[in-house]
Amino acid sequence: MENSKAADSVILDVRNISVNFGGVKPVQDVSFTINENTFTSVIGPNGAGKTSLFNLLSGMNKVSSGEIFFNGEAIQSIHAHKIAQKGLVRTFQGAKIIRRLTVAENLMMAVKGNPGDNLLGFFTPRARKAFEVKAREEAMRRLDQVGLTKFADEYAGILSGGQRKLLDLSRALMADPTMLLLDEPFAGVNPTLVEKLLTVLAALRKEQSITFLLIEHDLETVMNISDRVIVMAEGKIIADGLPNSIYENDLVIDAYLGSRRKDS
Amino acid sequence: MEAFLQPGFWVFVLALAGMYGIFSLGLQIQYGVGGIMNFGHVGMMAVSGYTIAVLVITYQWSFWWAALVGVILAALLGALLGLTTLRLSGDYFAIASIAFAEIVRYWILNTDSVTGGTQGSLAIPSPNGFGGYTDQPDVILNWISDRLYPIIGEEASRDLSMVLVVWPFFLLFIWISSRLQKTSWARVLRATREDDDVPRSLGKNVFRFRLQTLIIGSVFGGIAGVFWALQFALLAPEDFLRIVTFYGWMILILAGSTRVKGLFVAAIFFGFLYGATRFLEFWPLSLLSSPERAYLRVFLIGFVIVLLMVKRPQGLFGKRQEMVLE
Repeated sequence: MENSKAADSVILDVRNISVNFGGVKPVQDVSFTINENTFTSVIGPNGAGKTSLFNLLSGMNKVSSGEIFFNGEAIQSIHAHKIAQKGLVRTFQGAKIIRRLTVAENLMMAVKGNPGDNLLGFFTPRARKAFEVKAREEAMRRLDQVGLTKFADEYAGILSGGQRKLLDLSRALMADPTMLLLDEPFAGVNPTLVEKLLTVLAALRKEQSITFLLIEHDLETVMNISDRVIVMAEGKIIADGLPNSIYENDLVIDAYLGSRRKDS
Repeated sequence: MEAFLQPGFWVFVLALAGMYGIFSLGLQIQYGVGGIMNFGHVGMMAVSGYTIAVLVITYQWSFWWAALVGVILAALLGALLGLTTLRLSGDYFAIASIAFAEIVRYWILNTDSVTGGTQGSLAIPSPNGFGGYTDQPDVILNWISDRLYPIIGEEASRDLSMVLVVWPFFLLFIWISSRLQKTSWARVLRATREDDDVPRSLGKNVFRFRLQTLIIGSVFGGIAGVFWALQFALLAPEDFLRIVTFYGWMILILAGSTRVKGLFVAAIFFGFLYGATRFLEFWPLSLLSSPERAYLRVFLIGFVIVLLMVKRPQGLFGKRQEMVLE
């Protein structure tokens, strides 16, 4: 997509982060910055450290060394839920849905600043209910966006794999993110649905100012939507640039794809 | 079998059901909504029961003020349990909670000078120099039965007074709990039951939700302890064995852990099984003595649970669909 759209202000600044799990180092000395309102894809083979990187950015795991700044604020040592409250929201590989909540409830759960989430809210039923009505409307709007409206009051557990991906994405959006980390949203999704997801993402970029960082193992899928592609292998960044330059990068082709693609 | 035809028997069953029902309300919100497996719930009941006994006997407090302190202490203890162990994942927390309840019981057993130790609340030191018996529960319950006597005559028993005290509270608590379970607070809690990471990644402080739930459950456990103290007046450490926690679990499994409103039916059913076994005098059970037959309740209740697990895993009132979603 048009690279010129990228604004200059940095939303995420990652400085020399590493993590050790015993002897294993899934992420080693990784640094990069992400500008606001851009769409960046992180690609790399299995075990490259992509999800580990997301776990560090979202605070699910803590860095062994290095710093992470989100909107200028150091976040490497604060709790995961606080990072999410600041607007850095993630999804998970394999679409984690809450099976025994309804589809609509899955979304409504994610809303920020719900007075009913607080026990004291129990004593102010009117405010609580007013907020619920709003949350429900918002949820229905999001469901409409991805075509899941008819499942709103069904248990999420009945959804198919692809529908779960859509639900997962919609739910993350309900948390009102300024930056969204999507972990393999296209994995195991049929080509038609991939197209649909890409359309939804493209629309979101236009309508809301959300910065995207996305994990994908297949470069081709994200070629068109990404402003920039970061390639990881063995816990390190081995290439970083425009999608086209990555596509032609011999280092990437050798390290990541193993050999030249047949069709190139 | 004529025992079952006596109103007195059913009044006793209801009194038991009310007490154990409130007790299992605590487990219901912890497990049925929050997915927290608490096997040490009896500890909360023991703490509030003994707090009342000590305050009333040693310090001459009024029963109801002592009850308030007892429940507050149970809540604080729930908070302590949560702060120290709630970061453990499911099964490990369950084990830690058993240890917790046992610590409470052993503490009661071994601090004779405060709790009366093995002799129970009878040996709690009192300023009068007599044994530590308190007649306050009798005074309260007899006050009620004295007023009932002109109306219903001989049926105005102590147990009936107990039923009249405990059941309005039980129904009120079911109502409050079911209201609470309709809030968005409970929705987040239900999410944590299945997965920690999702609510965390959406900005929810999972630990706070869990801790609150544990404390609310502990309050119910503590309140059950108040009624226990009221009903039995005398406490002993062996009243608070692990099995009591599992009686609460039996009621919960009978009712179906996710549906709070069915709890009172399951509690009555439990009360019946619990109270009825000693009266089952037909052959071959007649070969056993009455106290031996009393132990049948454990077998019988266990059998019913197994039967439910096989035939109706969602409990009497649960939704089967919830059990099969993957």
